[in-house]
Amino acid sequence: MLWTIAAFVAGALLNVDRIPLWATAVLIACAAWQLSVAAHKLPALPKPAQLILTFVLVTCVVATFHTLNGLPAGTVLLVVMGSIKLLETRGRRDRYIVIGAALFLLLAACLDRQALARLPLYLGDALLCCTALLVSAYGGAGLEIRVAAKLAARSLLLALPLALVFFLFFPRLPGGFWALPANDDAITGLGESMSPGSISQLTASYDPAFRVRFAGAIPPPQERYWRGPVLHDFDGYTWRRGVVEAYRQPALRYLGEPFRYSVTLVPDANRWWFTLDTVVGSPDKHVFFSYDYDLIAREPVTQLTTYDALSYTHTESSEPLSNFARKIESALPPNRNPRTRELAARLRERAAADPDFVRAVIDFFRTGGFQYSLTPPMLDLDSVDDFLFHTREGFCGHYASAFVALMRAGGVPARVVTGYQGGEWNPIGGYFLIRQSDAHAWAEIWIEGRGWRRVDPTAIVAPERLSRGILDILPNAVSGRTRLLYTTPLLVHLLQGWDALNTAWNERIVKFDVNMQLGILERLGVRSADWTALVAALASGLIGWLAWIAWHIGRSAGPRPADRLARAYARLCRKLARAGIARDAHEGPLDYAARIVRRRPDLAPRAQPLLARYAHLRYGPVGGEVAAAATAAFERMVLRLHVARRPRSTPLRRSKSL
Amino acid sequence: MKRFLRARIASWARRRQGADVLPVTMHYRRIYILPTRAGWGFAFLLFCMFVAGLNYSNSTALFLTFWLAGFVLVGLHRCHRNLLGIALQGATAVPTFAGGAGELELTLENPAPLMRLRIEADLPGVAPSVTDIAPRCAARLSLALPTTVRGRLLIDGLRLTTALPFGLFRAWTWVYLPLELIVYPRARGFLPLPTVAGVTPGAKTRGGSGGDEWLGLRAFRDGDSPHQVAWKAYARGAPLLVKEYCAAAAPERYFDFERLPNLDTERRLEQLAAWIVDAENRGERYALTLPGGKLALDRGAQHRHRCLSALALHGLAPARRAAAIAR
Repeated sequence: MLWTIAAFVAGALLNVDRIPLWATAVLIACAAWQLSVAAHKLPALPKPAQLILTFVLVTCVVATFHTLNGLPAGTVLLVVMGSIKLLETRGRRDRYIVIGAALFLLLAACLDRQALARLPLYLGDALLCCTALLVSAYGGAGLEIRVAAKLAARSLLLALPLALVFFLFFPRLPGGFWALPANDDAITGLGESMSPGSISQLTASYDPAFRVRFAGAIPPPQERYWRGPVLHDFDGYTWRRGVVEAYRQPALRYLGEPFRYSVTLVPDANRWWFTLDTVVGSPDKHVFFSYDYDLIAREPVTQLTTYDALSYTHTESSEPLSNFARKIESALPPNRNPRTRELAARLRERAAADPDFVRAVIDFFRTGGFQYSLTPPMLDLDSVDDFLFHTREGFCGHYASAFVALMRAGGVPARVVTGYQGGEWNPIGGYFLIRQSDAHAWAEIWIEGRGWRRVDPTAIVAPERLSRGILDILPNAVSGRTRLLYTTPLLVHLLQGWDALNTAWNERIVKFDVNMQLGILERLGVRSADWTALVAALASGLIGWLAWIAWHIGRSAGPRPADRLARAYARLCRKLARAGIARDAHEGPLDYAARIVRRRPDLAPRAQPLLARYAHLRYGPVGGEVAAAATAAFERMVLRLHVARRPRSTPLRRSKSL
Repeated sequence: MKRFLRARIASWARRRQGADVLPVTMHYRRIYILPTRAGWGFAFLLFCMFVAGLNYSNSTALFLTFWLAGFVLVGLHRCHRNLLGIALQGATAVPTFAGGAGELELTLENPAPLMRLRIEADLPGVAPSVTDIAPRCAARLSLALPTTVRGRLLIDGLRLTTALPFGLFRAWTWVYLPLELIVYPRARGFLPLPTVAGVTPGAKTRGGSGGDEWLGLRAFRDGDSPHQVAWKAYARGAPLLVKEYCAAAAPERYFDFERLPNLDTERRLEQLAAWIVDAENRGERYALTLPGGKLALDRGAQHRHRCLSALALHGLAPARRAAAIAR
């Protein structure tokens, strides 16, 4: 009983942060009550009370979730009903039902989260459930718990090869027959708007945003811009993606060599698929390739998502920008940020053409005494004016916002691009880890005849920001714990190793799909692997395992001679028995040999010396290493012995030949 | 229905296997195995887990499902192996008086270096008996067989089963040994022991063990009455010894079926059985005469058994093939 309760409670505890507190309280109360019943300290709860409790608790679940369907409500329902079942558990059948519920809770935990760090917990719970199964089947005292746990663990171990074969080769159907869960595990990443200060919240977070693995060449650090939402609409304080109508983007000419890579997104409840600037097209038909070179998925990213992409870091466009697009990308709210407009007008007057104006603005940023800071003063509603002429202290968002505003005021089409910049190279896993703290904003301006050009005003003010992490520049921007973790070399190494392990787990195991299955088959030498090859691999694996397990388990059931010599002797006797003259149970080796000489003289020359040798080894004065060597020699001789089934001239043989 | 099915399957297996001879070793060809109800339930559970894992395309859940499925198959083999190789070394039916419970004693030997868990012996309509057998050890199982009438009880449909280790499968084997239980007539009667000459029932002759002459001690043999065992000596550490008395001075009794004319056959047999038990307990020598034959003066457990068996089988066909313990 104790084990059944333990298995169920452990299964529920795996989900403890997903179930409401009252359900946990019910679980603990029921488990404690049943333990007391088992110890004869409390009476069992009467049937009517159980029924009322069931009704009340199911009502509570419905009240909490407004449904009994889906993973969260289902898990809580399972916990609650299982707890009540605990109360009425008497016989073996009840115990099996509770253990079944415990296994379902383990499944729910697996469905909910598949992090590598939780794996040991899942393993432990599986072992606990299997042990509880054994203890329940045994029923009653007398079974040592150590023996039971060992037996269960060994059984699980023996089952492991089959699990691996099935995992590798069972054809993965595309899932989702029913509604998939919304995972609220997601952390908030980049949003669809940017106001002064919004990015600095992200910057303090060291959570991973996505990981990138390059196939082939890796772009230089100054090209590692990961494009996200492009913001077009400015109200004087906040930049938004806006409800702008899409305009036809001028055709791009790609320059240089492309970069091929795959990105694994950490779920963040946003719809952006980040790519290296500028991506060529959409890797997935459910993902929209927008007119401003963004990838936007239909559904928010709630699970680990991996995609392959192809990007060029240099592009060019010789087409002119349409008037409609020019209008949108030059719009500024009227009556806002007057001093900015004034400054732009002044600089514009002095400049001959657009590039000169851009250079003048860049010079203004370089020489204007601006400071990079993650904790700038608050800005008033005319944020650009306030920033450019008053505070002069800010981070990427402030600079991008002010730069684009100045560009637009000077008549140059410009827009704000948000995303991530840089990334930490993980030498163990061979990939880049991009953290939320790498969030960044920069500007894009339109230069006639050349197309959209990236300008990063932050890089002008604080060039070191691009090459080094936030920790090096502004150590106080992150929490003390993060600082400690990421500045101790050994810890950094360990953390990188752990991250690489997790990434491998996520890429190889969690995201395991039919393509990877076929890839394995191809690596095993199957050419043009398809479903039939998968099924064949599965079937051969299954048959092989079954044969192995039958042999492995079955062989321990028979009487097994204790030592090598006895085993070799038994083998010798088996061989002779197959030849038609079996040793009688009471017969010693010498008597047996004598009988063989009498009855089967054809076998005698080979059998007799062996039997005599056995008698000598077993009963004669041999000891120590000599005995071991002699036994080994005896074993070899027995192995090499070949005996004919029948003597040459038996009646059977003759009748056959007739 | 279930019982009918079981009987049909048992008889099919009997035709397939043929009769057994002791010792019976449980080899592959005679062990049958099927999932238990819990096993079917577990299969359903695995199916649900599998569908959920596929639906969510969840690798961890699928792996868990496959692993547990493998675990179930390992359980299947382990359950089969739990029975495999066990040898039934002895099977003895210990007689009883009608209305009492006879005993079927089974000796199981485990020649393998592994622990056998929860090996059950069962017969239709009889409470099963369970034991564990340690590695390279033997264990004894005893089944209580309820009886109602005297005679010969054929023990049919003996099964050795196990559901361990995980209770998801049940492996069993049928044992077809020519086993029969002798059921003595009920030992009851109102008549006192006949006198020494066997003439005057009710005469005042008292033998009793107190009057016996002490002869000595001898080693215990199977079939000796527990009453004669020298328990005190055994408690002091001596081997199991039996006290022997010289019956020379004890009276001799002659029990005769024909001399109880006022009773019907069954009553007579019961009366005779009561006398035999009584005389044996007193340590007296007795002889029995039945219409079919005669047993000469003697005493001791063997003699008692012979006499009581003769009573039990009186008037019955030599080897009537009775049904299983039908009740």
